[in-house]
Amino acid sequence: MATVIDDALTPAVEARRGRPPRSRRAGAWYAPYLFVAPALLLFLLFVAGPAIGAIVLAFVNWDLLTPATFAGTDNFSRLFHDAQLRNALGNTFLFTFWSIVLHVVVGTAMALVVHRRMHRATRYFLRTAFFFPFLISWAAVALIWQYALDPTFGIFNFYAGKIGLPHEGWLVSSTLAMPALILVDLWHTIGFAFVVILAGLQAIPRELEEAALVDGATPARRFWHVTLPLLSPTLFFVCVISFIGAFQIFEPMFIMTRGGPDGATESIVQYLYETAFRNFQVGYAAAIALLVFVIVLLATLIQFRLRRRWVFER
Amino acid sequence: MGVRAVRRAIASRLVTIVAVLVGALMLAPVVWVLVTTVMPANQRFDLPPHWIPSSLHFGAFGKVFDLIPFGRMFLNSLKITAIITVGSLLTSVLAAYAFARLEFKGRDVLFLFFLAGLMVPQQITVLPVFIGMRELGLVDSHAAVFLPGLVSALGIFLLRQYFVGIPRELDDAARIDGAGHLTILFRIIVPLAAPAITALGIFQFQLYWNDFFWPNVFLSSTDKLTLPLGLVALQGTQGGTEPVVVFAGIALVVAPLLLLFLVFQRQLVESIATAGLKG
Repeated sequence: MATVIDDALTPAVEARRGRPPRSRRAGAWYAPYLFVAPALLLFLLFVAGPAIGAIVLAFVNWDLLTPATFAGTDNFSRLFHDAQLRNALGNTFLFTFWSIVLHVVVGTAMALVVHRRMHRATRYFLRTAFFFPFLISWAAVALIWQYALDPTFGIFNFYAGKIGLPHEGWLVSSTLAMPALILVDLWHTIGFAFVVILAGLQAIPRELEEAALVDGATPARRFWHVTLPLLSPTLFFVCVISFIGAFQIFEPMFIMTRGGPDGATESIVQYLYETAFRNFQVGYAAAIALLVFVIVLLATLIQFRLRRRWVFER
Repeated sequence: MGVRAVRRAIASRLVTIVAVLVGALMLAPVVWVLVTTVMPANQRFDLPPHWIPSSLHFGAFGKVFDLIPFGRMFLNSLKITAIITVGSLLTSVLAAYAFARLEFKGRDVLFLFFLAGLMVPQQITVLPVFIGMRELGLVDSHAAVFLPGLVSALGIFLLRQYFVGIPRELDDAARIDGAGHLTILFRIIVPLAAPAITALGIFQFQLYWNDFFWPNVFLSSTDKLTLPLGLVALQGTQGGTEPVVVFAGIALVVAPLLLLFLVFQRQLVESIATAGLKG
């Protein structure tokens, strides 16, 4: 993300540098457009066009069967009076907050551990264990954990009970269902944060840490004053990506809890899905989709604003 | 070695031990599913679990094939993912070449236009695309799933970055020898950009192989479902499918993945780190 935005502001600079003289065989003037055409056509059909279509849809009432009617701004004003939407937004913000905090903290801890000197086999095992869950589909992850959290035969419940955590059906408890989903999501996607942060650590020049070592800095000081500032651009990236991913969370709620018990885990995208494809209120669903988009966009912009405050630029 | 150094070495060893324990705990649910699937019926779901079955039983796998057309679903997933991976690589390579190497009016604006597409989530596009596909009679068809995947703004962006880094002298030399754009692209640039293209391909493959949201909206007939949808159907529609049969379904999906990962760990991790990092 960070690089995307940075690059967008300085497009094609490198391409301009050292431009060779145009040769006679450079091709017809329309050749470049032919190269871009397939991607552009598909992009207009499936990204840009539908994005505009969604804005139009938000101004109509439509059940997909009878003809659509103009709704004015009804769908938007409904956003402000919808208790179920407010509940889903609250759940989603809660999920997102914990998702970001846990991904950054746990991901950094895992990366720091694996970054140290250790036996090759140990490193191989740790990389496998930390990263492999990321490759499993949400469908399989949700099913695995639905059984692992089962109150009668689930291993998670069994061992959680052994160490003093609640030994009950986490997914059917209105207070424990959300923490359970946050943990399942962490298990599933921590591997990505881990490898990205590990790559960030490996990119830090050894000399800097060695210089601090020579100066007699303790490990804690080396971490706070050398490693962490140099790692901050990577952590910023993990925050942005975690936010975008977590705010659009859908699968674990949809498969594991159906949003229950009693709406305690319903997420905003799940509510959008139900509104569109179960209740067939396409116009209102489009308004919710735009709301999600605006929130993600605003939050991302705010994060980029705050970037200057805590991200150390080399 | 001083006392401090010894203490530090012990602390470091302890950290490693804790990490290995955490790693083992993370793999435990997966191992539990795999082992339970092949366990004798009277040992399944005992608590504490038996981690090593006394004998091996494969009956549960047969029941998966009785309940869902697993092979068919595997092929569906393979077909959709392969079309998307190859197709999106092709459209991205072509567009990235134009953005990295060619001069044309509106280039920078078009490039920004694609970049803006990175911000548009599936939840925005799914409604209008669903309505369009319904008009075309493509709902509940594989085309509805793979067509939108054939363009990747991320792919165009990543490959353009990589192409820009390839020295121009190479294509200039080829051009003097009379090579056209396609020859330069596929004979010179694509081979040199193989690491980036492979990384992007692996990233796209795992993304769409595992995708749930989009196929779930568009596909409904049992024989058209992809594997992730099939797994959920295996548990759901029959109501009380025996847990061990669902475990067998999960094992059929996860075990090959685990083997693949153990062999290609380095490449997979690096591909996803690079593709994800740049995105």
